[in-house]
Amino acid sequence: MSRTADPAAAVMDLPRRDAPDKLAGRTRYTVDMAGPGTLHAAIRRADIPRGRIIRVESGVARQMPGVRAIVTAQDAPGTHGIGISDHPLFAGKEIRYNGEPIAAVAADTLEQARAAAAAIIVEVEALPPVLTMAEALSPSAPLVHEGWKDYGVLFEGGARKGNIAWEAKVVRGDTDAAFARPDVTIVEGCYEVGRQSHMPFEPRAAIATFEDGRLHLVTSTQVPWTVRAVTSSLLGIPSSQVRITVPPVGAGFGLKFDCTIEPVAALLAWKTGRRVSLANSRQEEMATCLCRENAQIRIRSAVTTEGEIVGREATVLMDCGAYGGEQIFLTTMTAHTLGSNYRLGSVRLSTRAIYTNTPPNGAFRACNGVYNTFALERHTDEICAAIGMDPVEFRRRAVFRDGSIGSTGQVFEGEVLVPMIERMEALKQKSGSREAEAGGRLYGRATTVGSWFVFVGPSAATVNLNADGSATLVTSGVEIGSGTMVQALPQIVAGQLGIRPQDVVVKAADTDAAGYDVGVGGGRTTVSLGAASVKACEDVLSKLLPVAAEMLQTSQDNLVLGKGRIEIAGRKGSGATIASVAQRAQALHGPVTGSGSFTGQGVPSMAGCAMGHFINAIDIPIFAVHDCEVAVDPDTGHVEILSYKVVQDVGRALNPRAIHGQIQGGVVQGLGYALHEDVTIDAKGRIAQDSFETYRIPLAQDVVPVEFELFEGAPSIGPLGVKGAGEVPILNVGAAVACAVANATGKPVSRLPLTPPRVLGLLVSDEPPLDHPHIGKDWSSNVIALPQSVRAG
Amino acid sequence: MAKKVPLQITLNGEERAEFVESGSTLLTALRDRFDDTSPKGGCNQGTCGACTVIIDGELRLACLTLAEMCDGASVQTTSGMAKGGVLHPLQRAFMEGFAAQCGFCTPGMIMAAKALLDRVPNPSRDEVIEALAGNICRCTGYEPIINAVLEAARANSHNAA
Repeated sequence: MSRTADPAAAVMDLPRRDAPDKLAGRTRYTVDMAGPGTLHAAIRRADIPRGRIIRVESGVARQMPGVRAIVTAQDAPGTHGIGISDHPLFAGKEIRYNGEPIAAVAADTLEQARAAAAAIIVEVEALPPVLTMAEALSPSAPLVHEGWKDYGVLFEGGARKGNIAWEAKVVRGDTDAAFARPDVTIVEGCYEVGRQSHMPFEPRAAIATFEDGRLHLVTSTQVPWTVRAVTSSLLGIPSSQVRITVPPVGAGFGLKFDCTIEPVAALLAWKTGRRVSLANSRQEEMATCLCRENAQIRIRSAVTTEGEIVGREATVLMDCGAYGGEQIFLTTMTAHTLGSNYRLGSVRLSTRAIYTNTPPNGAFRACNGVYNTFALERHTDEICAAIGMDPVEFRRRAVFRDGSIGSTGQVFEGEVLVPMIERMEALKQKSGSREAEAGGRLYGRATTVGSWFVFVGPSAATVNLNADGSATLVTSGVEIGSGTMVQALPQIVAGQLGIRPQDVVVKAADTDAAGYDVGVGGGRTTVSLGAASVKACEDVLSKLLPVAAEMLQTSQDNLVLGKGRIEIAGRKGSGATIASVAQRAQALHGPVTGSGSFTGQGVPSMAGCAMGHFINAIDIPIFAVHDCEVAVDPDTGHVEILSYKVVQDVGRALNPRAIHGQIQGGVVQGLGYALHEDVTIDAKGRIAQDSFETYRIPLAQDVVPVEFELFEGAPSIGPLGVKGAGEVPILNVGAAVACAVANATGKPVSRLPLTPPRVLGLLVSDEPPLDHPHIGKDWSSNVIALPQSVRAG
Repeated sequence: MAKKVPLQITLNGEERAEFVESGSTLLTALRDRFDDTSPKGGCNQGTCGACTVIIDGELRLACLTLAEMCDGASVQTTSGMAKGGVLHPLQRAFMEGFAAQCGFCTPGMIMAAKALLDRVPNPSRDEVIEALAGNICRCTGYEPIINAVLEAARANSHNAA
């Protein structure tokens, strides 16, 4: 029995309530819900990366069998975006990437819709495309957006110029002085990564209908409220006239953290007055995947022989593809990843989102944190080699301590990373080395650190305490597979109200029923929706406890809740069931309902350090320490993972086995990124991989059981001290594998993925170290402009 | 409009007949005509395993199987495994082992695992991995699935003994 606030009451080994249906194949995802009588839609896409549209003629297509409507840019002329409103629903005058939608067709069958889409006449004048960031930055490069100056700016502060969609900068301290010191070693490195495709099993899919004059979209999304806002704006209807509901989602990993095909389905439903289903084929899904972006990085550090980093300068180029999207926001996160983990005497960071004529990129589990951590940890090991210090010892000395200052001047509280490193050292000791299994191959090992954040932000929750003693939790939270909506949230509500988790009904996301929510992603669901749920429960108890106190003739302070009862503290068996108190309250005052809301309160940073950042300081940092052992075959370049270990900062573990599932799954996704998931852009600007055969994601035979320890107790503003646990397991995987391969081979590992040909290339060739000529060695050449105060300083 | 042809199958032990479009796949027929959406179209290219079904005792990919070729066949899907609302031991092992996350690959995984256990009641870890080699999962990192299949085999042999 516990009073409301005992966080331990929410800790459970609760199985998933959605498992029986998922295991019996009964779960209905969006793609299972079209049903008879629904029209099917297909999209006509551009097949060149850049060009001018001369004519779109759909007259013949409109007359084809079964065709009900065709829509083009004329039907939705607006734009949307994050930070900058640069993204139209359909290409109107200009084509900016291969695969860009030009028109869409609704027909009685999918085959008819596809046939008609193919029959639309699209006349274009092809123009030379800008396919790489190096090309985009060259002074003679064509502009991906000739009208970039005229776009609506939705968030002020980022520098922009031509193909540089957004530039965020950090300037703290005097790096020039640091690099000029006589007692420092200067280490410089360049790093590069390709894109990663999410490959969720359920593609992006939506079903649109107009009901009672309002648009209803059933969609496979992580962000119902974003879909509501973007769709209403592109259709030119009030957002109150749009309802979004979300059945179970067949995974997202960030791909569904943006509005994409939903407005197309909505337009066709509007035109036809019929129910319209639109789902991407696997090929379309891959061709238009909002990938983790390709990136290029240069880092330079000044370090003393004692391992003190007195100065660091870095430039990160992120390819946003044809439209800014999530990368505009993510420029912020360099400061909190590449500029994090280690105490820096002075720091300058420039992060540029670059337009190219390639498919737009987006958010993917831990986003740029994954490659910034790769680059930073490889650079850190290069520092260790240069000053002759053991890599684990260097990290012990240089990482954040209680009170350390981050790159933007944020103060980090608590001793977290050092004890986590010690936990990892103990785990390594306990498990021993797998070196013997390497046989004749090259053996390597590395331990890496990483930091990420919880993307807090507004969430709302309503809790109805029903007269039968059950509770109904109403939020806009979506179950994307992580289990948060079926484990953590009912556990939190059950713990707060003293009832069983199975007596907490969780309403599926419906924007007509629940308040605003940022969406499911960024490790925020348990934190933000959890915090809103705790507040809603407190509201419920503020109505319930006075009634209970009166019924039991005691003061509210004497009451404890648990096992479905409200009892007098210290008198087991006293009191009444929560159901009877709820009935009494309902009779006296009406049904018991509570509402709660949450948003991050903000953390101070140092004034003037961060420019063009959406978040200057992070409310909830999360740290991770990973260790990896590899065996590299010198004849084939194949890398085998011998062991993988994780120590993860979770704040408080509400369901340790569920977190373990996230760690195993996240690490394996990271192993794919590190070793063989390779998205490439061909000469026509297309993503070259179009199937599970050409894009190789991990299979059952590729994986190792991940050993893990959960580090609890680090400071968190999350409810009950929790932090998000599902996003961060992928964070340092690229870093740990790359550092282990570098350790095994003695070669400078500067690129991911480490495919066998690439590893073999490292082993047999004497290539010079990777260099990015288009990222200037002089940091200040990589910024559009600095404020006068910074230039002078 | 494509020609319609009759298709009579025994679906999870039940005699069923529907008209399907000539040339359509068994996956389309099951999902659109027989209203069994447990087989999923993860790729419709025969590469992901989400549409795995058992036809006359053999493991098959429904997205690569012509519906017409199945006339008279016995087809098993995951939706037929729970009897009277009680989960099959394999499904129970998946549930207890937290082996389903988004759940989209799960029906195919269950079918592949069932075909293995029907053939090899006590498989080794390597045999389980080999049996699941054609079924891709993007969420779990496979380990919980491999362990659930081994656990179901253990529970099965325990019951048999």
